[in-house]
Amino acid sequence: MSETLVEVRGLSHSFRLAKRLSIRALDAVSFTIRRGETFGLVGESGSGKSTLARCILNLCRPQSGEIFYRGINTCDRVQFRKNRELLQARRQMVFQDADASLNPRMRVESILTEPFVIRRIRPPRGSLRAEAAFWLHTVGMEAAYLDRYPPELSGGQRQRVAIARALAMEPELLVADEPVAALDVSIQAQIVNLFRQLQRQQGFTLLFIAHDLAMVNYLCDRTGVLCRGRLVELASTEELFSNPLHPYTQALLSAVPLPDPRRERARKAVAYEPGIEEDGVLAEAAPEHFVWRREADG
Amino acid sequence: MNEDRFVRVGIRPEKEEPVLPGRAGRRKEFPFLSAGILSFIFLGCLLFPLFIQTDPAYLDLAHANAAPSRAFPFGTDALGRDLFAMIWHGGRISLWIGFAAAAVSTGIALVWGSASGLAPAWADALLMRLTDILLSIPSLILVLFLQALLGEPSALSLSLVIGLTGWADMAKVIRTEARQIRGSGYVTASRCMGGGFFHILWRHLTPNFISSILFMVVMSIRSAMAAEATLSFMGLGLPLETVSWGGMLALSERAFMTASWWVLWIPGGFLTATLLCVTQLGNYLRGRLNQKQSNL
Repeated sequence: MSETLVEVRGLSHSFRLAKRLSIRALDAVSFTIRRGETFGLVGESGSGKSTLARCILNLCRPQSGEIFYRGINTCDRVQFRKNRELLQARRQMVFQDADASLNPRMRVESILTEPFVIRRIRPPRGSLRAEAAFWLHTVGMEAAYLDRYPPELSGGQRQRVAIARALAMEPELLVADEPVAALDVSIQAQIVNLFRQLQRQQGFTLLFIAHDLAMVNYLCDRTGVLCRGRLVELASTEELFSNPLHPYTQALLSAVPLPDPRRERARKAVAYEPGIEEDGVLAEAAPEHFVWRREADG
Repeated sequence: MNEDRFVRVGIRPEKEEPVLPGRAGRRKEFPFLSAGILSFIFLGCLLFPLFIQTDPAYLDLAHANAAPSRAFPFGTDALGRDLFAMIWHGGRISLWIGFAAAAVSTGIALVWGSASGLAPAWADALLMRLTDILLSIPSLILVLFLQALLGEPSALSLSLVIGLTGWADMAKVIRTEARQIRGSGYVTASRCMGGGFFHILWRHLTPNFISSILFMVVMSIRSAMAAEATLSFMGLGLPLETVSWGGMLALSERAFMTASWWVLWIPGGFLTATLLCVTQLGNYLRGRLNQKQSNL
């Protein structure tokens, strides 16, 4: 459980929008993901969640910092090339928009077997079609869908297909970049439960990115909070939700509506003053609970 | 009050206008006539040379410049060659050059355009400027230059040369299409899984832009045939003993003096009919494939 699978060290990335204007998407982010856990990443829009996911999967080259996957520095070209096969098979991603992540002109069957075709692997379950049917079944869909095209599926079904495609390689690390944000609430619950069930079955490590705090609370073991490209708080989910230390986390949690009207009326949204996070370090405030603090305080 | 000073805003009663079945609204019908003529010419070129005993290169000087008759259905030219045999043999060469050149240019355009579309900005700019340079040179000069490099023209070398000079337009279209598709999730996902350039090209790009380039592919068959005819007409194409439609037209200048209309009209008619029919088919394909896939 405590074995480190992914280690992110001082990751920074910025996007150049114009000649003189650039946006800091990530600023010295460091954390580790342990094997077998579900790591949640929350933050408002534009806080760098997706950039972080893309950097971890080598879809985006960070400007500085290092990412280690099982001790392999994936940001180093030489090391990446040497371990390319392993890295591409063992790390998979589920995208936010399942609509765009499935080729509209490919059948579900060929979508699911694409990784096998790319790698020229013989499918463990005999034929490619049997393999596709198996994974489709794993995500709770019938084999009758194998000959459909993505536009003929519903949003939830498309996301299931996307998850099945990612799982077909039996990954160690699954990065889910807001996999439920584009779905409606009842389907969101289905998909989140599916993730939970699949993780128990397959035992992969899940990096779950969301902006829905309830979802993260339900699914994740540990949670990190990103704010303007900085990791401001990192703790076990239970600890984070019961005892948020950073003002941004407190503001974020106070913004969650409560289902009880009486408590909802009593709820006070805490305003967050920007500028607090300006300079500091991630310090351990309690065991396994890290908060971004000014260096002077520590 | 002055009612006409006020204009009613908000929901206005919509007058119902009858929708006229206009030209644009009607679905394009399959061009049966063009397809029929084209398949007749095709099959004719494939099959007739198997049955006709006449050698198209045989100089029957006794019957030079004979008008169409029972013995010579399309007449003979100034050298006494049977036009009927020449048409079908020559059609083989012309069509072959058309298809081979289109295949060459489509292949180059696919790889070049997709490479440019998937490449980072600087490589994209470089590849496209090279295409612009190619486009800025008159293709006839380019064809002559390349043909000179390859030596004596043959059907193979001629189609290679025509194909090598005709891919730039298509590459530009493909590049634009590829640039639109490359940002979509499935290309990213495929890259994530380790899909290489050719995998993405075949599995993701080509199926998605096939509709936009099919028209151009068909049109490049047409322009390759036209280019071959032009070159042969100018005497820069195939050698005289290799019969093609363009080469037959080249002889027609002499036919003017002898008033033998068939030498000009018959190969010209076949060439024009084929090109028109191919254009018609291409137009139909463009209209049909551009219809958006409906969602459910």
